[in-house]
Amino acid sequence: MLARWARVACVATGLLSAMGAPTIADETCNSPFTSALVTGQEQFMHIWTLGMPGLGDESDKLVTVDVDPKSPNYGKVIDSTSVGGRGEAHHTGFTDDRRYLWAGRLDDNKIFIFDLADPAKPVLHKTITNFVEKTGYVGPHTFYALPGRIAIQALSNAKDHSGETGIAIYTNSGEFVSKHDMPTGKMGGDGYGYDIGINPDQNVMLTSSFTGWTNYMMDLGTLVKDKEAMKNFGSSMAIWDFKAMTPKKVFNVPGAPLEIRWSLKPGDDWALTATALTSKLWLVHKDEKGEWQAKDVATVGDPSKIPLPVDISIASSRKHLWVNTFMDGTTRLFDISDIHAPKQVYSKKIGNQVNMVSQSWDGKRVYFTTSLLANWDMKGDKNDQFLIAYDWDGKELKERFKLDFIKQKLGRAHHMKFSAKPQSAAIGGTLETYRSLTN
Amino acid sequence: MKLSVLWLSGFAFSALLVGGYAFGNPGAQVPRDLTQSEERRSGTNNAHLPLGLPPLPDTVQWPTKAAVELGKRLFFDRRLSFNNTLSCAMCHLQENAFASNQSAKAVGFEGRTLQRNAPSLLNVAYQKWLFHDGRENHIEWQVWLPLLSPVEMANPSIGSVIERVRHLDDYIAVFEKTYPEEGLTPNTLGHALAAYEITLVSGNSRFDKWRFGNDDGAMSAQEKAGFALFVGKAGCSNCHHIGEQTALFTDMQFHNTGIGYKAMVDPVSSYKVELAKGVFIDVPSSDVERYSEKPINDIGRFAVTLKEEDRWAYKTPTLRDVSKTGPYMHDGSLATLKEVVNYYNGGGYANEGLSGRLAPLNLSAREIEALVAFLKTLDGELSYWETSTNQGVESPAAIADDGPVVLRPPGERE
Repeated sequence: MLARWARVACVATGLLSAMGAPTIADETCNSPFTSALVTGQEQFMHIWTLGMPGLGDESDKLVTVDVDPKSPNYGKVIDSTSVGGRGEAHHTGFTDDRRYLWAGRLDDNKIFIFDLADPAKPVLHKTITNFVEKTGYVGPHTFYALPGRIAIQALSNAKDHSGETGIAIYTNSGEFVSKHDMPTGKMGGDGYGYDIGINPDQNVMLTSSFTGWTNYMMDLGTLVKDKEAMKNFGSSMAIWDFKAMTPKKVFNVPGAPLEIRWSLKPGDDWALTATALTSKLWLVHKDEKGEWQAKDVATVGDPSKIPLPVDISIASSRKHLWVNTFMDGTTRLFDISDIHAPKQVYSKKIGNQVNMVSQSWDGKRVYFTTSLLANWDMKGDKNDQFLIAYDWDGKELKERFKLDFIKQKLGRAHHMKFSAKPQSAAIGGTLETYRSLTN
Repeated sequence: MKLSVLWLSGFAFSALLVGGYAFGNPGAQVPRDLTQSEERRSGTNNAHLPLGLPPLPDTVQWPTKAAVELGKRLFFDRRLSFNNTLSCAMCHLQENAFASNQSAKAVGFEGRTLQRNAPSLLNVAYQKWLFHDGRENHIEWQVWLPLLSPVEMANPSIGSVIERVRHLDDYIAVFEKTYPEEGLTPNTLGHALAAYEITLVSGNSRFDKWRFGNDDGAMSAQEKAGFALFVGKAGCSNCHHIGEQTALFTDMQFHNTGIGYKAMVDPVSSYKVELAKGVFIDVPSSDVERYSEKPINDIGRFAVTLKEEDRWAYKTPTLRDVSKTGPYMHDGSLATLKEVVNYYNGGGYANEGLSGRLAPLNLSAREIEALVAFLKTLDGELSYWETSTNQGVESPAAIADDGPVVLRPPGERE
């Protein structure tokens, strides 16, 4: 049965198709249903930051940094909104109208909805505290805009804190709509979840798989030594019929496939992901017969050293992919012109550790943050916590500014999102942006 | 008939047992004779206990249905932790025989690594000492330690727990109905949780049917051979007691098996890590240290008694349902039953306080297989504790009616 929100999605998909450019994302990794696109100079960066014991107010907070080079406050923290306590702040996502930013915590499962009417001063609009009660899931991870809705991919469940989980659908105003378990059983899925990526043109949703609460909350060193716990990582990706919200096929992708990035080129039918534990890039694509397939196409670093590929960022030109490896604090640029044979063409050590990467629409500015999970981050003086901004000239990353989140008493810097004032030149017209990608 | 180990004549460890570590220790507790009171306690309270289990100890009162249902609700309620994330049931998983198969050591508040493996709660009513180091001695008091531990459920005080529960749903009404004289108090909260845990009884295993039910066909020849080794050459029953009519598979004592000592002194140069199914790599320990928290030292029972002989000594666990409760040992360091048997076959890790009951066993591969096969016969019948709903335990039919219980401090029941 087609859910009401999915019918809306179909209409939206149809509109996009009618415009001739159905697969589009802003800042290259957001949902294609996000309407306003920051295609020019981003003005603000929101960083969902984990509180650290002994630092400042010790609580999770949304930190806003001015990233407009023309501003007198360039590279400075201009706002910090603390939400109280530590609940493993992790990822965020815009509603389709880009008015609200949803920010989740993986431990206590609170979801904070910030109003970005004035993006320089985010206001906590609403807090959802009954996610577990409504869904049975634990660990709200990915927040992915649908027309009038938010899809939330969870990581775990309240029954046993294992990796079996699902996707919850909420309205933009924060009301629970439906839940959809990750595939298991005959289809071959392990029931685990991590990221969501939708390609409306193909009417498919792709999902990946990580691990449950017990592992993602555990000290990383303890986890690596724990033979039983190491067995509890995801090894699957699933392709779904998006309109029907039903899984169609499960792929065996061993070693915890994480972030999903569809090619942004209209009509393209492939996506990339990286496996954290086995250090591979995997391609999910349609073969000559029109069947969805998955295969590993590149190795990231030296897998025997567990470099731990984490966040990846695809250029809007779909020619390059940034891949961060957490353990060696290095970012690596892959040339993906031949998507079946990506090649590393550049690397740079960012710090003792690095997790998230966000690039501007034109790929000329690249930002990095350092925290992965509170108990997975390096210990002691190896625990770098910063936001660092670079310009990318096609050959080198050149540092513009660096904000030390420990010196500033903020905490662990994690997920980044760009924003710009409404009506500003930074926000590109949707149609023009679509057209630029077809060239 | 006294509860006794099968000190079958001619077995290597009989002599060791008599003069051995536990009974030679003036601080150790001699196991209570749980069967001694069987006749006077053979009324309604214990009539329904499954085959193979002795009557409940005098310190434990079979609870009312109302208390059990309230306790069950509390047991599964994640809101009892400071950040609404951890219930008792998140570390004591019903589908894992109320232990946890997910990790070697339990994971607590904000992901803190606890010192030890989450023990099974099956048959916890019989435990004389609670926790691996026996630092608590009554099941109604035990519940407060995880509730208040800053690394477990992290509540800041007893009063804050009471206030928290007072403001949840209609707990107050249920407490007042169940305990009309006291309502919600630290005593009744502990009593309710303990009431539920007391019902987690497991028996009537294939071993019980064979050993105590005269069903010769309940165990295979290999399993019977494993039993003979268990009580004979391997000496397992020296600590994991088996009685004439019942068996709890524990002497309720504390022993240094070398596992704790080994963890302290044995340097590990690398770890074999499974990245995906069948994909292993060796990771140098120097690499792991970069992202490892400093481990908490664990000195075992010594932390409770400060008696030298208790250094790195831990309580003998029951072996009932042991096939479901891995990973094994107090720190979850052994993944399988075979690894456990191999460890003891080697005589344990040598150290000054190593239990005198341990010595190389010279078991053959075939004998090891037989012992493991026997251990797998100890799975109880799930009907005694398996849920009929998605959470919680179906109360045994013989639980008393809904009448209110009269509370007495646990000490008065001694």
